[in-house]
Amino acid sequence: VEASAPTVSGGRSVLERSPLSRLPDTVLKFGLAVIAAGVLILLGAFFVVLVAQSSSAFSHIGVFNYLFHNNWDISQLGQGAACDTGHHCTFGAWPMLLGTLLTAGIALVIGVPVAVAAALFITELCPRRARAPLSMLVDLLAAVPSVVYGLWGFIVLAPKLRGTQQWLADTFSFLPFWAGHVAGPSYFLAGLVLAIMILPIVSAISREVIATVPVEHKEAALALGATRWEMMRMAVIPYARPGITGGAMLGLGRAIGETIAVAYVIGGSTTVGHSIFQQGQSLAGVIALQFGEAQSTPLYKSSLLAAGLTLFVLTLVVNLIARSYVVRAGRIGDKGPGRFSRFRRSGGGAAAPGITAIEPETL
Amino acid sequence: MAVAASLGVAACGSSSKSSSSSSSSGGSSSTTAKSSTGAGTINGSGSTFAAPIYGQWGQNLSSQGLTVNFNAIGSGGGIAALQASTVDFAGSDPAMKPEEVTAGKGPVLQFPVAFGAITVAYNLSGVASGLKLDGKTLADIFLGKVKKWNDPEIAALNSGMKLPSTAITVVHRSDSSGTTKGFVTYLAAYDPEWVKVAGAPDKTAKWPVGTGAPKNAGVASAIKQTPGAIGYVEQAYALQNGFTTAAMKNKAGQFVVPTLAAASAAAANSPVPPDLTISTINAPGATSYPITSQTFIVIYADMCKAGRTSGDATSVKKFLTYGLGDGQKVEQQLDYAPLPASLLSKAQTQLTQMKCNGAPVS
Repeated sequence: VEASAPTVSGGRSVLERSPLSRLPDTVLKFGLAVIAAGVLILLGAFFVVLVAQSSSAFSHIGVFNYLFHNNWDISQLGQGAACDTGHHCTFGAWPMLLGTLLTAGIALVIGVPVAVAAALFITELCPRRARAPLSMLVDLLAAVPSVVYGLWGFIVLAPKLRGTQQWLADTFSFLPFWAGHVAGPSYFLAGLVLAIMILPIVSAISREVIATVPVEHKEAALALGATRWEMMRMAVIPYARPGITGGAMLGLGRAIGETIAVAYVIGGSTTVGHSIFQQGQSLAGVIALQFGEAQSTPLYKSSLLAAGLTLFVLTLVVNLIARSYVVRAGRIGDKGPGRFSRFRRSGGGAAAPGITAIEPETL
Repeated sequence: MAVAASLGVAACGSSSKSSSSSSSSGGSSSTTAKSSTGAGTINGSGSTFAAPIYGQWGQNLSSQGLTVNFNAIGSGGGIAALQASTVDFAGSDPAMKPEEVTAGKGPVLQFPVAFGAITVAYNLSGVASGLKLDGKTLADIFLGKVKKWNDPEIAALNSGMKLPSTAITVVHRSDSSGTTKGFVTYLAAYDPEWVKVAGAPDKTAKWPVGTGAPKNAGVASAIKQTPGAIGYVEQAYALQNGFTTAAMKNKAGQFVVPTLAAASAAAANSPVPPDLTISTINAPGATSYPITSQTFIVIYADMCKAGRTSGDATSVKKFLTYGLGDGQKVEQQLDYAPLPASLLSKAQTQLTQMKCNGAPVS
């Protein structure tokens, strides 16, 4: 275009603006780069501080002992020198690591099927007019503060579900890690509350991904005589599976990091429970509940920060896996012409505002 | 009185950021006002147990121009803040340990200011307050060895009482707390197995059974909603919730009901070391309630050498003079046990040891 424009001396177009007028662009580029870099620097700083602060716990106790020893006996650390002087210090955070993984696992087992079912219903079965309000209601679950979930779980759900939990524990007592006297708060209850908390994110992503399934595929399935269910099973779910898996992993990340709700309903016992109806503690919960009193005992404080580091790494790994799944979902889309094109475009348009920015590129 | 008590409980239960009395008259930044009249602002942090006391003291002193800010972040946090000298005083339930003092900026003075019974509360229909328990039985309950309320071990202590066969649900604190430390210290004194299973007494334990709830308020609500539950809460919470509480067997072999008088008796009957770092758990004496905990105000003996101003030292002295004087009456209204007379005079004498750069504080 420029080639045909009249030029002045120096080869510059008369239409071209002076270099100085481009200054805002340069400033913008530089400014945004600094702000964006700030995010990375902050993340790096968190990591460095966590490593530095937790190093004394790891060096006194040993990384393996710390992570996999079922013995959170703070009186060992309270005596200060107990771990220094060659004394065998068996202080470990295994009960909390297990509690975090177990409750997050239970949350996935209960939450993901419900979330995917809700997404399938909203995108495939429900009347068009009800679609937007229903999606909004599901997304609204994310707006409830987690402390409200915790208090609700502790005050309402725990007493109400005690009978149900006891019945489950008694009826299926032949399963491993299953039996026992139910007090109320437990791994199971924490998992249940977490399942509700991860519902919106898993459901929103599933909805987005299911909406990208080409209409041709679905129509083809129906034209071949498939029922609605067969169409979903053979055309929709296989196509959307990587995306749904990614959404589940993001939900897992959320479940692992959840603090205050879990602290209320997991039962706060820093020992490994014998069954999922017994009490435990999570990594995030132990930090929230014990940090205040730990500050005057350096090794105790360091041990809690080590729990923080463990959590940080765990969440990072889970999110990386989630990302790789969602990116793969994007790549599958690239293989055929037109596939996933709608997913690419869906940025702000399709369904729930706010959560729709879940595109493979931006994750 | 009732209002004051409920205020106190509310403040402690929510671990409010600052149980303070922000005097609207100000004068906080004016150092001249500070040094001459003792008016000013002092900052403390620490014990959630004692937070309602300091809040009330502050409120009562605000008319004299003294503003007291107390940040109830827990005893450990209070000690850490004092070590860093970011506060004028720390509130701590256990006395500051020697190694914690050496990690700070100089020698400290520790003032016991109040006592409180840690009550053993239970939710058992048909059984009134005053169920008799001893340390061994209580330890067996919290170890999970005694599983039913009509267990022979409990029945033996309560002959003639009709006990239901309800399963026992143990409720304990899930956060770390001085209340827990006091409670398990009592258990450990009567059952050597406790330390083997749950670890040496500290602010948390490796609870073999039972369910945890955060803070006194959480434990109270868990006891309330669980039939057959047993747990330990500070006295104010037991009174507030109308809990049935156990009469505990003390060192002298007597079963004592948790009352303010029994908590003060425990303090009066406990040996007092020269630095006043008294511990009232399992106190001797026939009238002592055995699970009584104490709380301290800890300050630097020479605040000025630790980086505070002489005005700060004067304000703190004024605060402590009030606390160890008229402030003691306030404690009873808030359901805390005041210092017994002998200990009170020792604490008042210790107040004269406050120094600012070597000179006595006016």
